[in-house]
Amino acid sequence: MLHSWEANERVLDSGAFESRQRVLAREPLVEHSESGARWLGLAYWQAVGGFTRGGVRARWGADGGRLVLLGGARLLSFSPAELVWSDDLVSCRYSIRGGLLALRAGGSVTLAQRRAADEVELSVVVDEYVPRLAARAGAPWWTGALYAKGQSPFHAAVSRRYFDLLAARSGA
Amino acid sequence: MRIAVFGATGVVGRALVPLLTAEHELVAVSRSAHEAVPGIRWVEGDASSTEDVARAVEGVEVVYYLVHSLGSPDFERQDRVAAENVATASEHAGAGQIVYLGGLGDDDPTASPHLRSRRETGERLAAGSVPVTTLRAAMIVGKGSAAFDTIVALVDRLPAMIMPSWVSTPTQPIALDDVGRYLAGVCGNAAALGQSFDVGGPEVMTYRQMIERIARLRGRRPRLIEVPVLTPQLSSLWLHLVTPVNASVARPLIEGLKNPTIAREERLRRLLPFELTPFDEAAEQALTGGVRGGGARD
Repeated sequence: MLHSWEANERVLDSGAFESRQRVLAREPLVEHSESGARWLGLAYWQAVGGFTRGGVRARWGADGGRLVLLGGARLLSFSPAELVWSDDLVSCRYSIRGGLLALRAGGSVTLAQRRAADEVELSVVVDEYVPRLAARAGAPWWTGALYAKGQSPFHAAVSRRYFDLLAARSGA
Repeated sequence: MRIAVFGATGVVGRALVPLLTAEHELVAVSRSAHEAVPGIRWVEGDASSTEDVARAVEGVEVVYYLVHSLGSPDFERQDRVAAENVATASEHAGAGQIVYLGGLGDDDPTASPHLRSRRETGERLAAGSVPVTTLRAAMIVGKGSAAFDTIVALVDRLPAMIMPSWVSTPTQPIALDDVGRYLAGVCGNAAALGQSFDVGGPEVMTYRQMIERIARLRGRRPRLIEVPVLTPQLSSLWLHLVTPVNASVARPLIEGLKNPTIAREERLRRLLPFELTPFDEAAEQALTGGVRGGGARD
């Protein structure tokens, strides 16, 4: 059902990171509607919780969400979801507001399903994010080892789980 | 059409029956005796009894399955047996549709026993040859709804609440009247045969937000303190102590609150379009026992 997995990461001119994972599916896995867009977002946080066996969970309120480690430390905080849906695209975007894993507020996480020829592309894009664990410009490479060996592979592994979850729950 | 409603005296059944009686011949099934109502044939029966079920569905075209055994220690087994009885009897009676009200989030691999049981009930109903229409709903906002009444009791009785992490779980509560309209709308509807639909209200919120909004309607401002650890068992015992809800009912409900319950699609909204009741309005009606004004919401 899912194929053509791709993952890449790069440092932008701004010094922020972009991490992108995508996969293709033969059929849409979510409906192109407000509910479908909301589910794209919720499923991602479920994948995070599942991958960490509940160690990291998303919590929500009127002012947005926060990713919490073991019920305590706030790893990241987010704005409320921005939902977009049309015939060709359905997406859910969260702006990053801060948290222990962010050096500063800024950047976003976008979960999307986009029609591509006769298939659909599912993607996770973390954009303009400045990780606290990454090496600073000019600093020795090993100062960013925690990001390179920990957080970065984590993004990719969660995305794989997320795409599988979407596929499983779509009934496809 | 001739229609049988199992669970006719339950919270949802009471909302549905008046909507069906106007156009259909109704057989209302309940475990306890019911006084006669014009236009409705009341049958005293238990869905776990093959004889009772066979008697109730004789000659019917559509069967509504609105029963559950929540509160019973072996509710999963009881619900399984009841669903199998209804599926088999409906098939023998030549019914053309079974309508089932299940739960959102029931296909989550980490679903609670209560939600798993709702899913399994749907599967047992669909095991026969009669097409099943499943509506999957989150919390129903209406007087008598166990989950809603539990939250109201908490708001009314406690000036401060220590709340577990499930209060941050998103949910999409729906008004009892709206569930009734959806259930009535799929009756005999060819487009709904063999289909499963998500039904959610117009707003997505966390349980914490729901508590805060009900508190506001009640004129109260309880202090809410969220703690990372509070097991479902402790929570249900606490509810048993401070609310009228029995622990055996509270526990499966609370276990289910850790699973997000939001609609993933809107096909039923397109099939049966009407304006959904806002949460505050639905809650106000439930709290005051009021009813919505006559059909102007379409």
